[in-house]
Amino acid sequence: MLLLYALHRLLGPRGRRWLIALVTFVAGLFYGLEYFYPAKGNPSANFLTKWIEPVSIMLAVIGFFLVGLGVYSLCHVHGRNVAKRRPGWHNSLAFFVSMIAMLVFALWEHYLHLREPTPAVVPWPKGVYEVLFNGLFAPLQAATFSLLAFYIASAAYRAFRIRSAEAALMMGAAFIVMLGQVPVGMWLTSGIPASGPAAFFRLEKLGEWVMNWLNTPAQRGITFGIAVGALAMSLRVWLSLERGTFFSEQA
Amino acid sequence: MGTLLHANWFMTGLFGGMSAIIVASVLLAQLGRAMFIRRIPGLTGIEEAVGRATEMGKPIFFSPGLDGISIVTLQALAILSHIVRLAAERMTRIIVGICDPTVLPVAEESVRETYDSVGRADAYRPEDVRFISDQQFAYALGSVGLMTREQTATCFYFGSFFAEALILTENGRALGALQVAGCPEPTQIPFFIATCDYVVIGDEYYAASAYLTREPTLTGSLVGQDIVKAVLLALMLAGIVLVSVLGPAAHLGQNFLVDLLAQGR
Amino acid sequence: MEQRPPSDLWERLQQVPRHYIYLLLSGVIVWQLLAPIRLPILPSPPTRGVYDAIRAVPAGKLIVISTDWDASTQAETGPQTRAVLEACFQAGKPFALMNLASPMGAKLGNDIAVEVGKEYHAEYGMVWCNWGYKAGFTNVLLAMARNIPKTMGQDFYGKPVAALHMMQKVRTIRDVGLVIEITGLANMTEAWVGLIQGPYRIPFAAAYTAVMAPGYYQFLDSGQLEGMLVGAKGAAEMESLVNRPGAGTAIMSAQSWAHVLIIALIIFGNLGFVLTRAREKGRER
Repeated sequence: MLLLYALHRLLGPRGRRWLIALVTFVAGLFYGLEYFYPAKGNPSANFLTKWIEPVSIMLAVIGFFLVGLGVYSLCHVHGRNVAKRRPGWHNSLAFFVSMIAMLVFALWEHYLHLREPTPAVVPWPKGVYEVLFNGLFAPLQAATFSLLAFYIASAAYRAFRIRSAEAALMMGAAFIVMLGQVPVGMWLTSGIPASGPAAFFRLEKLGEWVMNWLNTPAQRGITFGIAVGALAMSLRVWLSLERGTFFSEQA
Repeated sequence: MGTLLHANWFMTGLFGGMSAIIVASVLLAQLGRAMFIRRIPGLTGIEEAVGRATEMGKPIFFSPGLDGISIVTLQALAILSHIVRLAAERMTRIIVGICDPTVLPVAEESVRETYDSVGRADAYRPEDVRFISDQQFAYALGSVGLMTREQTATCFYFGSFFAEALILTENGRALGALQVAGCPEPTQIPFFIATCDYVVIGDEYYAASAYLTREPTLTGSLVGQDIVKAVLLALMLAGIVLVSVLGPAAHLGQNFLVDLLAQGR
Repeated sequence: MEQRPPSDLWERLQQVPRHYIYLLLSGVIVWQLLAPIRLPILPSPPTRGVYDAIRAVPAGKLIVISTDWDASTQAETGPQTRAVLEACFQAGKPFALMNLASPMGAKLGNDIAVEVGKEYHAEYGMVWCNWGYKAGFTNVLLAMARNIPKTMGQDFYGKPVAALHMMQKVRTIRDVGLVIEITGLANMTEAWVGLIQGPYRIPFAAAYTAVMAPGYYQFLDSGQLEGMLVGAKGAAEMESLVNRPGAGTAIMSAQSWAHVLIIALIIFGNLGFVLTRAREKGRER
């Protein structure tokens, strides 16, 4: 790592580009070679398989250094807001209070080493941690996610207009799937016998048919297309064919 | 149906063949062969969107999604580079909200270099490329707060999005912003379509950089992808015929194509 | 984008302010949570697949349940987890919780297991355990296939996994009879199928949020998934199979009428749209 960094600093722009391209190629080659090189045994392994775990751990460690960068960026932005008393600085102060409180009580609870699912006496730091986690953090996340229900209701009402035959078809399929997913839909067609050819017209069966025979092939087709696109993009990045700021305009 | 921890000869040949087609197509394009790309409506809206922000004198917001450094995010950053160039030429401010901290230095570098390349290094503001949160909904709400405070006229969402997509786009719509989205995740496409003005769907996302820049490398890659898809389609048709003739692949040994894919025999 | 004010009833039908929509939706949900109209819930084939897969786990094998979800999807994945754990306890199958992608899920899943375990008088370490959150995702899967106790190290409470009574005969992935992934996150299934279900032929089932489930029917169709719980509906169906109606069943009442409301709003909006267009065409003539 240090050697690469030193080389990067010493080389000129053209040399740096070649260094980046070489490192990119070697790094990509490792995983590709590990997968494609002939392997034996059960489970199968080749000479590179034993290096998968150490390399992945190394990449994870490099990635974790950047977690600190995110925290630094947050503290920098919010710290400046508080220091300069910019409008809304109290929100930035709330960020520091909640970050420190959660950090302190989470670590304190962890190092209490409570080894039972339900201890007879709950220490007060664990109590505070439970209030912060189960009382605040988790319900706030759940509440934010639940906003989606209101947003989708207003978005669906506003956007779904029958402007064409395809739109009408889509809307029909949507109604069938929406009603087929809930007991009301099952109740609406409960008069149709549950077995026999007519059972197909029960809303829950129709909904399943739409999901299995219309949705599944479409999803597969999309997955194939996206996978091929990802392969092409991976090849371009691996072989440093990709143009853009990270490989410079003149590459 | 089994999968392989390592490739058998068939998979190696298939991947090698697909890669060779794509690389050959790229080389042909670099040698000057003209290649056609159809119009992608979602991407033609980008210039209009940047223009709208310029006319209104308000900033642009860009979100590269929730993922770390991945193929999807790299593509988003390539699109960001194009948008920053357009914005810099028109002297329009652009704010980038980052979710994953590993993307932050790459995005900063990308934006700074783009401003440099159009001779507008003075317009670059480091605080306009900012880390918001690595938590999904905290990021969504932080971005919404940012968009509301800055009264963004245009919002771009390119990258990996999940449940928070609708929170971003519905609030952007309420703000009156023109919104352009692109996401390879099929689950979020319906929400983007319901709330955004232009949407780039599935494969078009990966075609975006080729379409916007018309770089021979990228257009060649796009044509290569289409040829590969035709090859896969042919394999699928062969599989359908074999299953119809030889019976369902419930057991290995009944269908040699399944054996090839699952076991390498 | 701004809209001009509606001039008549048909245009008003198309431009109902979103605040009224939010109020209506809140009202319907609160009404059903307080005074539910209970309608029968019929288990679907994907849900039955999960239930049957649990009951079919051979004696001596473990069920591994990966609770890769957090509080944001708790409304769906919480009841799913509870219903799956009920099925495991009722069938007398030992299970281990684990978590690969969302540390919050390790605690939330554990809280549910402790609560349900009390109802079945299940002792921790004997019938169920929690391996806790393990960082590394695909590395963990690759390593646990070869040696589970070494990979897992300490459990959720800091005890060595190898020291737990129920883990005495569990060494590799071949001692696992079923893996159940409960998640609201993308790309988890692909890793499990690619690294565990596919190479080692370990039966695999899953529970997803409703919005991501459509993308996984292809795995069900190909036989890589034994069964699948889809959102709160899947949880409610599982609750009916284990005969323990809970949060999933309660949510379905509210969800039913919320769907009816959304459909009604779409119909009204389109009524206004069609009638406005017809009127404008009439004017042109």
